[in-house]
Amino acid sequence: MLKQTLKTSLAAFALAAATIAGSTSSARAEYPEKPVTMVIPLGAGGSHDLNARVITSIMPTYLNQGMIVQLTPGAGGQKGTQEVARAKADGYKLLFTHNYIDMLQQYVENLPYDPMADFVPVARVNYAPTSVIVRADSPYQTFEDLVADAKANPGKVQMAHSGNWGAFFVPAAQVMQALDISLNLVPYQGGGPALQALLSGDADVTMAFPSALGEMLRAGEIRVLATAGDKRIYDDVPTFSEVGVEGDIGFMHRVVLAPKGTPTEVLDTLSAAFAKMFEDPTFIKLMNRLGESVDPLTGDEYQALRESQATAYKGLVADLTSN
Amino acid sequence: MIEQFTQGVAMAMRLDTVALMSFGLFAGMLVGALPGFTTLMAMAILLPISFFLDPIVGIPFLLGIYKGGIFGGSVPAILISMPGTGASVATSRDGYKLTQKGQSRKALDMALVSSVTGDTISDIFTIAMIFPIAFLVMQFGPPELFAVLLMSLVVIAATSGANPVKSLMMIMLGLWLSFIGTDPLGGVERFTFGSFDLKSGIPLLPMLIGVFALPEVASVVIRNEKARKLTSLVGDRLSWPELRRCIPTIGRSTAIGTAVGIVPGLGQIVAAMMGYSAAKNASKHPETFGEGELEGVAAAEAANNAVNGPTMVPLLTLGIPGDNVTAILLGAFVAQGLRPGPQLFEEQGATVFAILVAMVIANLLFLVIGYLSIPFFSRLVTIKTSILIPLVIMFAFAGTYVYRSDPVDLLMLVGFGIFGIVARAARFDVMPMVMGFILGPSMEYAFGQTMAMSGGDATSFFLTERIGAFCVLLATPVIGFLLWKRLNARSVQA
Repeated sequence: MLKQTLKTSLAAFALAAATIAGSTSSARAEYPEKPVTMVIPLGAGGSHDLNARVITSIMPTYLNQGMIVQLTPGAGGQKGTQEVARAKADGYKLLFTHNYIDMLQQYVENLPYDPMADFVPVARVNYAPTSVIVRADSPYQTFEDLVADAKANPGKVQMAHSGNWGAFFVPAAQVMQALDISLNLVPYQGGGPALQALLSGDADVTMAFPSALGEMLRAGEIRVLATAGDKRIYDDVPTFSEVGVEGDIGFMHRVVLAPKGTPTEVLDTLSAAFAKMFEDPTFIKLMNRLGESVDPLTGDEYQALRESQATAYKGLVADLTSN
Repeated sequence: MIEQFTQGVAMAMRLDTVALMSFGLFAGMLVGALPGFTTLMAMAILLPISFFLDPIVGIPFLLGIYKGGIFGGSVPAILISMPGTGASVATSRDGYKLTQKGQSRKALDMALVSSVTGDTISDIFTIAMIFPIAFLVMQFGPPELFAVLLMSLVVIAATSGANPVKSLMMIMLGLWLSFIGTDPLGGVERFTFGSFDLKSGIPLLPMLIGVFALPEVASVVIRNEKARKLTSLVGDRLSWPELRRCIPTIGRSTAIGTAVGIVPGLGQIVAAMMGYSAAKNASKHPETFGEGELEGVAAAEAANNAVNGPTMVPLLTLGIPGDNVTAILLGAFVAQGLRPGPQLFEEQGATVFAILVAMVIANLLFLVIGYLSIPFFSRLVTIKTSILIPLVIMFAFAGTYVYRSDPVDLLMLVGFGIFGIVARAARFDVMPMVMGFILGPSMEYAFGQTMAMSGGDATSFFLTERIGAFCVLLATPVIGFLLWKRLNARSVQA
């Protein structure tokens, strides 16, 4: 047992060392000739950070270069995004972000960059669908119960979310817009505290990603009322489409972007490396261990999605800020 | 339950667990001692390594980094008055004074012993009381958090200096500085004058290093003692009578730290300040606090480490990470096939107890590792000042820059350095400002949440639904006044 653990730990250290030393392997004047930095506009320890740690430990195999994570939180993601927008478009500085920072913020605030004009997508790594959840002892048995109560008592149902214009606020607002209901949206500093507020009774309803609620569901502490998209995740729980909420609502896409103007060869090299990494069994295993899926989309495929997000978010923000 | 516990103890007694934990403790201590590097970064970077290890090896390895890092932060705080995190601000106050008196080794020993004691007792308490704690955690929401944070600030104002009006002014200044940038709830820009660099607010690190370390550098330079050493000796190790004198303080701070750890969102900084204030208030000679009092180091370090046990509870019993450190631990747990949640103890009880027992073993191990490393660290202060001061300046600037690689932070560092020198000349204590700055955002957020929950009518909301929080709010000015009067009376006598 001891020997085996020792062996695996040695292997693990070797892997880490390889990540750091990856820069020495290629000396040709072809991209990439030095390590690539991936900027995350969010804080340490969040889901993007953890996802990125897996990416950077596998990527060197396919890129023949090391990949470095740089966390640059601040101003709701604008600080890190701006840094990449201003970086040289040479493929050595990439952005690992999500759709709300990428496409929604431009309609809420004056940004020092233009997301559509300054970035091109390289790849989508995965996405997470939200679920609308209540406590097991909640009076809401179905999504319709929740909607009916919200209609009868506008602004009285307490909905905890993970922060304004964040991954649960936006879908909640979109649901309110689609069904013409009003919930009292209370912000919490992250999905964890929001879930805790639901369990402690401070909130009546909240949202969560599958990786976060699996155990609570299994223990019978919570009930799922609806899940994002048009494909059922749980056999007996309706989807947003079934309850009348259509469109790309409630998905958080984790995407890698590059500054616009990055040479095509460089983008091709990056896309190819990502495509190969997404097939790597170790990568898939590590992501699954984190409770995350691997659902790759190419840069071009994701660009189409971005354009439709832009239209939808523009309408949403106009709607929410008009009254 | 008992059977799972004994099984867990047996599982934790493994050579490879101990070996990797020791490595983690040592690495964490080094990372924590370097200003600008955080334990959180070290944990995130090393997380993938733990995926390949056995759960009873990998998770204690990460815990070792975490625990080593917290102590590591107190090393520069004591030796060169450079607290790298808010949690070691209270430590640096008396710790650096002790270094100037040539007792740096004693101060570091005290920090180590009280850290380990506070941590161990709170860990054991957590293991024994895990389900009652889980219940208590649920009783605190944003209104309670707001009330407790406000009370903390009032206690700091009342106990930090002879003049509470000056302290209050500094707290207000700190709160105002924390408001600069994007409003965390509404997303409105405040006091940024259109500057993008101010939009994300003022970062903590330049403020900490600027107001605490740079004025010390300036005072050495002004006295022009280039040939001398900051202190010629590292001093003796901690003696048993000195430790015995501090035992009540360590006990009190451990209790305070554990209680603070139960309230979600308070954390190590509040614990250290409350432990320090309480020790000063209970002392027969409060005037020695801030002038190099060993008890001050003990109070702060025992309290900030005692927070660690209870913060693990929501993670283990609900699978909810309360902060970024526990979020990384959650990643490590899940990657090992352990799914923290209500059924974790039923299904994986032995493994979880093994990890908890490993936490306690880590503390004891750290006592040894720390004790052996302290002579090495404390030698730093015997370097000639003509060499040490440039080194400190380099650490100040490099540490500030490395944190997020933003040159604007360097300007802020210089600005806060100048402010610190001016404030010292005018006899204003900068600590209340730093506390106001650190606690301001959490307090503001909790206030905004409370307003949102109440639908705009906070008064009736407090009275009808949050009577506990309301009582704390009512009691706060009274507590502040009594504390101030008591301390004032005793300082005058002395």
